[in-house]
Amino acid sequence: MNKVLAALDNSAAARPVLVSAAALARLLGAEVEAVHIREDGHQTAEAAARAAGLPLRLTAGPVVQTLQAAGQNPDVIALALGVRALSAGRRPAGHVALQLAVTLPKPLLVVPPQATPTTTLKRVLVPLDAEPATAAALAETLELAGRHQLEVVVLHVHNHASIPPFTEQPQHELAAWGEEFLRRHCPNPDLVRLEVRVGIPGQHVLGVAEEMRADMIALGWAQELDEGHAAVIREALEHSSIPLLLIPVPR
Amino acid sequence: MPPFLLSAALDRRFEAAVFDWDGTAVPDRRADAGRVRTLVEALCAWGFDVAIVSGTHLGNVDAQLGARPAGPGHLYLCLNRGSEVFAVGPTGPQLIERRTATDAEEAALTAAAALVVGRLRARGLDVALVAERLNRRKIDLIPAQVWADPPKARIAELLAAVEERLSASGFSGLAEVAEVVRVAALEAGVPDPRVTSDVKHIELGLTDKSDSARWLFAELRRRGLAASAVLLGGDEFGAIGGVPGSDSLLLVPEGAAATALSVGVEPNGTPKGVVALGGGPDAFAGILEDQVRRRETGELPSFDPDSEWTLAVHGLDHHLERVHETLLTLADGRIGTSGAPLLAHRASNPRVLAGGIYEDEGAESHLLEAPAWAQVAGSLEHPGGLRRVLDLRSGLLFEELNGPDGRELQSVRFSSVARPGSVALRVEGAEAGLVDSRSLLPPSRHRRWRRGRVDGCDWLQVRAAHGGVTAATANTSHGDAERRRLDRLGVYLLDADSVPRPAEAVAQLHVVQEAGFERLLTEQRTTWGERWEHADVQIDGAAELQRAIRFALFQLMASVADSGETALGARGLTGPGYRGHVFWDTDVFVLPFLAATRPEAARSLLEYRIRRLPAARTEARALGRAGARFPWESARTGRDATPAHATTRSGELIPIRTGDQEEHIVADVAWAAACYLDWTGDEAFRRGPALALFVETARYWASRIRLDRNGRGHIDGVIGPDEYHEQIDDNAFTNVMARWNLRHAAEAVAVEGSGSVSAAEGERWLELADALVDGYDPTSGIYEQFSGFFELEPLVIEELAPRPVAAELLLGGERLQAAQVVKQADVLMLHHLAPGEVAPDSLRPNLLYYEPRTAHASSLSSGIHASLFARAGMLEKALAALELTSRIDLDDLTQTTAAGLHLATMGSLWQALAFGFAGLRPEGSCLRVDPQLPDRWHALELDVCFRGAHVTVRADGRNLTLTADSPVSFLVGDRKRPLTATPSGLRLKRRGHSWIEVKTP
Repeated sequence: MNKVLAALDNSAAARPVLVSAAALARLLGAEVEAVHIREDGHQTAEAAARAAGLPLRLTAGPVVQTLQAAGQNPDVIALALGVRALSAGRRPAGHVALQLAVTLPKPLLVVPPQATPTTTLKRVLVPLDAEPATAAALAETLELAGRHQLEVVVLHVHNHASIPPFTEQPQHELAAWGEEFLRRHCPNPDLVRLEVRVGIPGQHVLGVAEEMRADMIALGWAQELDEGHAAVIREALEHSSIPLLLIPVPR
Repeated sequence: MPPFLLSAALDRRFEAAVFDWDGTAVPDRRADAGRVRTLVEALCAWGFDVAIVSGTHLGNVDAQLGARPAGPGHLYLCLNRGSEVFAVGPTGPQLIERRTATDAEEAALTAAAALVVGRLRARGLDVALVAERLNRRKIDLIPAQVWADPPKARIAELLAAVEERLSASGFSGLAEVAEVVRVAALEAGVPDPRVTSDVKHIELGLTDKSDSARWLFAELRRRGLAASAVLLGGDEFGAIGGVPGSDSLLLVPEGAAATALSVGVEPNGTPKGVVALGGGPDAFAGILEDQVRRRETGELPSFDPDSEWTLAVHGLDHHLERVHETLLTLADGRIGTSGAPLLAHRASNPRVLAGGIYEDEGAESHLLEAPAWAQVAGSLEHPGGLRRVLDLRSGLLFEELNGPDGRELQSVRFSSVARPGSVALRVEGAEAGLVDSRSLLPPSRHRRWRRGRVDGCDWLQVRAAHGGVTAATANTSHGDAERRRLDRLGVYLLDADSVPRPAEAVAQLHVVQEAGFERLLTEQRTTWGERWEHADVQIDGAAELQRAIRFALFQLMASVADSGETALGARGLTGPGYRGHVFWDTDVFVLPFLAATRPEAARSLLEYRIRRLPAARTEARALGRAGARFPWESARTGRDATPAHATTRSGELIPIRTGDQEEHIVADVAWAAACYLDWTGDEAFRRGPALALFVETARYWASRIRLDRNGRGHIDGVIGPDEYHEQIDDNAFTNVMARWNLRHAAEAVAVEGSGSVSAAEGERWLELADALVDGYDPTSGIYEQFSGFFELEPLVIEELAPRPVAAELLLGGERLQAAQVVKQADVLMLHHLAPGEVAPDSLRPNLLYYEPRTAHASSLSSGIHASLFARAGMLEKALAALELTSRIDLDDLTQTTAAGLHLATMGSLWQALAFGFAGLRPEGSCLRVDPQLPDRWHALELDVCFRGAHVTVRADGRNLTLTADSPVSFLVGDRKRPLTATPSGLRLKRRGHSWIEVKTP
């Protein structure tokens, strides 16, 4: 059976990671497997797994490599882990999360420690640029719309470099444009809702997620965190208080 | 396999045949032509056009052929070596064209013939002037009894005998004799001598077969047929005795794409490109029989590969499929069918829209989606081998599927413009779905429908709140599992008041079935041919632009019916965008093209407004005004259908004020009526509905204008065409259009009289018109767009961002409201619509001031600017704006083309060409013309209708030719005195800034 692998560290993030992983697994029709790599104790992780009614697989080894290897298992369809140990941390994410994010060829659910995830995902925000590859990577997520009463909201942000040449009668043109945008980029356009904004995408992603009280943000990305890349991902990793599902876009 | 099918060029369906008579269709003039007669009548019955070209006269050919075809295909006899054309129907031949020589030409021919006879005899050659035929003289080179009437089969022997005689007199051959004739003709004053020879004779004439060929290709074009659909048959294409074969004269440039075939002996070969089949009349009859057989078996017609007349889509691009389906829309003025593939695909959206039938009311009203008719059962798994080609010449959509999985499917479909509401589909392939095919699909988003089957016909009824649509179709399939053919015919009945009964639709379908696919196809071609004849625009030297223009004109023509009323929404019948609501787009952008090319269609657009005049009166009354106030958005009832709110791309919910404030629509409707009158001179309309429109709109403005203490008139709280600024006072466009409206109404009442308008009321309109402020500053020559515009933040959008640009997204709505940034032509729209109402010479200063401040964020902007730049002589800018306009839908620049084509943009494209580059405008009872062409264009040619006359304007860099089928007065350039154009053409040459008439003898 497909699994969402929940990687628990021995921190406050362990519980939110488990809850988020379980919510995602339920949506995907998968089961959750909790895993902990021994470093400096395992009581917090163990307690979190016990509270969730899941056995905890304890293993040893270099954390990143061990999780990468576990993630390669064909049964594993996503890996969940805490984004950083403390909410006050200055870096956008811990080194484990960052290294896995740029290397793991599977969806990575990163859960901020301050998250209060729900056991059932009700609203997911899916930001889409107009790139077909992004849309293709997010297609499976978009197809979840309607399942288990999940509401999927697609967000497109016109930034200053992509201001469209034409906007006509506002009472009509957005409907026409929006319908076609969804037809182009969503496998189930009738089941999702579109929000459009103008400005800096990273800021709007978090703003709209808050407005709609999203339980999760699904983001497609090319797994490049170098300067000049992934501004939205960086912004979200740094400031999001809800889980992020990072889905690799094939390069 | 018949031998001719070994030639791939002949293994196809043709739509017309043009062929020589003696030697090609019959072995000689005494032969029994019964087989040809039967074939000609059969082909005509299938809609095939036949033209016989011969040097002889009617008596010879008609007596021998004896065909009396009943149509729908035509039979033409082009006789007397290019001098006469007869159309042959059930009652016999009717003369339709004859070249009549002048007395001087007759005398010159006679003198030339005498000279030739004298000169040949002087060298010892015994010749005889055997006949004075129509427009020619015929000299027998071998007047011996044994060669009195040689059959074509003995051409080689005849040539040897003639050459022997010529040689005996010191002539090198026939070519030398022909040269003697040519020289003598020129000496005698025949300016363009046509010298031909059938070996036995040498003939001198004013015409030859090339005249027949040119006439025929023009006629076939008028009937919607491209030259590529024509089979050209003869037996003498190759030279004989050094003289070009008589049938080689049929190879005119206009017919270069035709398939030429020789069944003659052709001892010296045939010219390049002519299929040398041989076999004589028997072989030719075999080819005609093959064409009959292809129709009996329902073979699909071929499409014209001319890229200037086609729009092709290869494969299926998931992202762009809805755009492509919209571009490939087939409309007939009543329904519009998207160009979705035959087989289902998840990216596809088969769609049929019913014109003028709205679901819901008010702001929520939207065009009703009707059943889809052009799909067959099955799904498109591998769309890579898909190709769809829209033939713009005749409104046919061809589709081919050659899938990697071995699936093959070919089809053609059309929405009949000859019988609006009728549709036809022919499909060929091995698909099982061609047999088991439910022919009507219910609309995807509408629940109130029901279906049934009666009398072998499927019907499906879609019900709107008021009225609805009922469609009925019938399938006929033939063939076996390896090759099936499906013919589907259908009808759509539309009614805005009560939903049509299925029985009515089925009864109408039976009428269409009676006509059959081939007759519908012929009608379709003919109707489109006639439309293009009066509306084409040709640009030499810009092939891609040419195709884009044709595409725009095609969709404009397809969107409007010729009778009743047409509620033409912003996207016409090509998509659901803008809910099918009617805006000023129709009156100001689309209507002028139709007024100038298809007046009956323009009239049906006006009829929509006329029938909603009572609703417009009610709107005015509700606001405490007089007269009639047409709404910014209009649907079924004519009451305002503008939504009250909208969510912007910034996610804000904003009030929509255009319904309350964009009142220039009132004058725009009146302007449209005047535009129609300018082009047509329709007196009944002028005295009737137009007068009512002028009066009621003028009354509205009279009640809308506020007079200040100084007696100056103001219109407060409006939105102009530049919609970035709301709640503005004294918008120049609104005020000047209102002024025009008041003056025009007063003048119309003064001329026509109107019992309901007192002299005092008319006077009052003129006083108010004079009192209205217009923001013009005579010092700068610039109009202030509205009161206070010059005090706004002085932003020049041209310097801030590449244009076109949606400036409200760049700067935000609030800042825009306070800045000098304009969405689209506003003041400049006045210079375009009402040049007589603006200050003389004010175009250039206003263009230089406002254009850099215009974002062009509306698709209505660039076409108008192209026109104005052209008028201002700024041709490079004009061309850039024109090219942008031409690509807005083809390149999906708005990313909303999937929701329908921007018909107003297409209308502005034509206006830029006609009003801008050609400088063509009605001016009283004359047409003003003043062409300005970019260097890159070799020539611009437009066809229009003016006051019932068909007019052709052709301009190149220095020359202008004006032709009219009945006399039309032209004001050319800055000339004050009119010149008259006639069928023979008025020619002018540019000298500096002036046009000088070129007199031809």
